[in-house]
Amino acid sequence: MLLSPLLAWVVPEYLLYIGNVLMMDAMLALGLDVLLGWSGQFAFAHIAFFGIGIYGTALLDMRAGVPFLLGMPLSALLAAAIGFVIALAAIRLRDVYLALATFAFALSMQWLIRTWDSLTGGPDGLRIAAPALFGIVVGTDRRAFVPMAMLLASMLAAMLHLTRSVLGRSLAAIRDSEHAAAASGIDVRRSKIAAFTISAFCAGVAGGSYTLFGSFIHPDDLGIWQLVQVLTMIVVGGSGSIGGVLLGVGLIGVLPELLRLAPAQWLVWQELAYGLILMLTVMFLPLGLRSVLRRNLRTTVPPRTRRGTPTMEHTAP
Amino acid sequence: MTALFSIRDLGMRFGGLLALDRFAMDVAPGSIHALIGPNGAGKSTVFNCVSRFCTPFAGDIVFDGRSLLAEPPHRIVRLGIARTFQNVELLDRMTVLENVLVGLTSHVPRYIDFLPGARRIAAERHAVRQAEETLDALGLLDWRHATAGTLDFGRQKVLDLARALASRPRLLLLDEPAAGLRNREIHQLDRLLVDLARQRGITIILVEHVMQLVMSVADRVTVLNFGHRITEGPPEAVRGHPAVVEAYLGRDAHA
Ligand SMILES: Nc1ncnc2c1ncn2[C@@H]1O[C@H](COP(=O)(O)OP(=O)(O)OP(=O)(O)O)[C@@H](O)[C@H]1O
Ligand SMILES: [Mg+2]
Repeated sequence: MLLSPLLAWVVPEYLLYIGNVLMMDAMLALGLDVLLGWSGQFAFAHIAFFGIGIYGTALLDMRAGVPFLLGMPLSALLAAAIGFVIALAAIRLRDVYLALATFAFALSMQWLIRTWDSLTGGPDGLRIAAPALFGIVVGTDRRAFVPMAMLLASMLAAMLHLTRSVLGRSLAAIRDSEHAAAASGIDVRRSKIAAFTISAFCAGVAGGSYTLFGSFIHPDDLGIWQLVQVLTMIVVGGSGSIGGVLLGVGLIGVLPELLRLAPAQWLVWQELAYGLILMLTVMFLPLGLRSVLRRNLRTTVPPRTRRGTPTMEHTAP
Repeated sequence: MTALFSIRDLGMRFGGLLALDRFAMDVAPGSIHALIGPNGAGKSTVFNCVSRFCTPFAGDIVFDGRSLLAEPPHRIVRLGIARTFQNVELLDRMTVLENVLVGLTSHVPRYIDFLPGARRIAAERHAVRQAEETLDALGLLDWRHATAGTLDFGRQKVLDLARALASRPRLLLLDEPAAGLRNREIHQLDRLLVDLARQRGITIILVEHVMQLVMSVADRVTVLNFGHRITEGPPEAVRGHPAVVEAYLGRDAHA
């Protein structure tokens, strides 16, 4: 920990940039996994809340002079408030309907940002003024590194707390069986609403953190492509586990940097590569790479004696 | 003898299908009351109405003098009613211990996540101890750190029961607990059910196709067919009842 300011000083700016992006991705992915991996809700409004975080923090700073330390939490709270409202509708939906409805919301938010150009700069994008922390202007990768690390550390601490909390356990139970959860006394609707709200808040924080080192944002950066990227990280690493998500962020996050080494004409294949990785993982490794690692580490589980074949006559309990 | 639990003229429809038709049943406290009937008779639907997963269009369900129809699903266990599921609704990615901890939800105050660290940890320890007691009583303690989905089928059913028992219910609804179990396991279940009812005073409604178990443990049997009660009485009386023999004809007619 003490080393990090020192590292931030010595390491080349380019590596620090990658580090900052990875840390932002980690916050984004951890937040989405609260819905996906913890509560089993396939909701895709996340990228919109990320956008609210970026534009909110940047505009509050530039248009209203609200400093980052106030503007970022405010934007995250706004994202959380909208997430809460979305949740009230979303808890009535499930599976593909939920995915479609929430994704449609993300697209309309992208449309709103593109259209409301007097506020957001619209299709020209928005040049982000470097925010100041305690009177020190940040805005570069070198200066943003330590604040980013601190933000990520706080979010990791909060996530660890969540996984050990009764709410976290309730969400996992809902993911595995809503019927068993409800019959055990878990308020399914309330827990889902909490998950949506927390998840949106995290996305808002991740978005706000971007203004610490990013200098430009465009509505095109908030589309399906970014969503697929975050999804790939979660799925490849292993949803429902903090370690798995961080593993996925690390692996998938450095991919574009590696692809940079490839000949320029290959770059168009990049999006296809993500799509393929996502598809293959879902098909062959639904619990992510973490499940492979865990299988080799596991020792305490008694051997399974006989594989159960419960008769599934109908899906109602 | 007044009933602890009664179902009054319940009517439940799925689209055009009348799944329950003026179904009624009274359950005496401390008794094991079997609910039997052919496949598709509506037995699980009765449980799903009690759990408030289904909302009947007519009738009432009364537990301890209080109508359940005004309650949301998660309140039912708080009132003292727990259940297991026919198709084992396990929390399969969670550990065995976590499954039972979920079963304890109704005894954990809602604000616990907001308590200061030390008190939260103490509460969690207490919950874990209780969960381990339940697991020990059902012979699953050695598996407490196993992922529930990796257990064999028999143990999955026991775990489903452990989750339900952890809530210390007054009324326990069991949906085909013996299905898929081997003979030895059915004998253990037999003793367990009698023990729960006689020693711990838990009232049990038992939906079951394994007649040998029903005849051995039930104090009273209600027979359901096409959503309608065709007869009710002590096991010996129900066994030979012509309507029952007819309902089961073609399957288990000898039971
Ligand atoms: N959620 C549902 N939607 C539509 N129809 C349903 C639903 N649940 C049950 N049914 C129908 O209601 C009828 C009663 O079903 P139920 O599951 O209660 O029968 P059961 O007595 O439990 O049968 P089994 O012994 O096979 O478990 C059946 O015809 C079933 O197909
Ligand atoms: Mg059934």
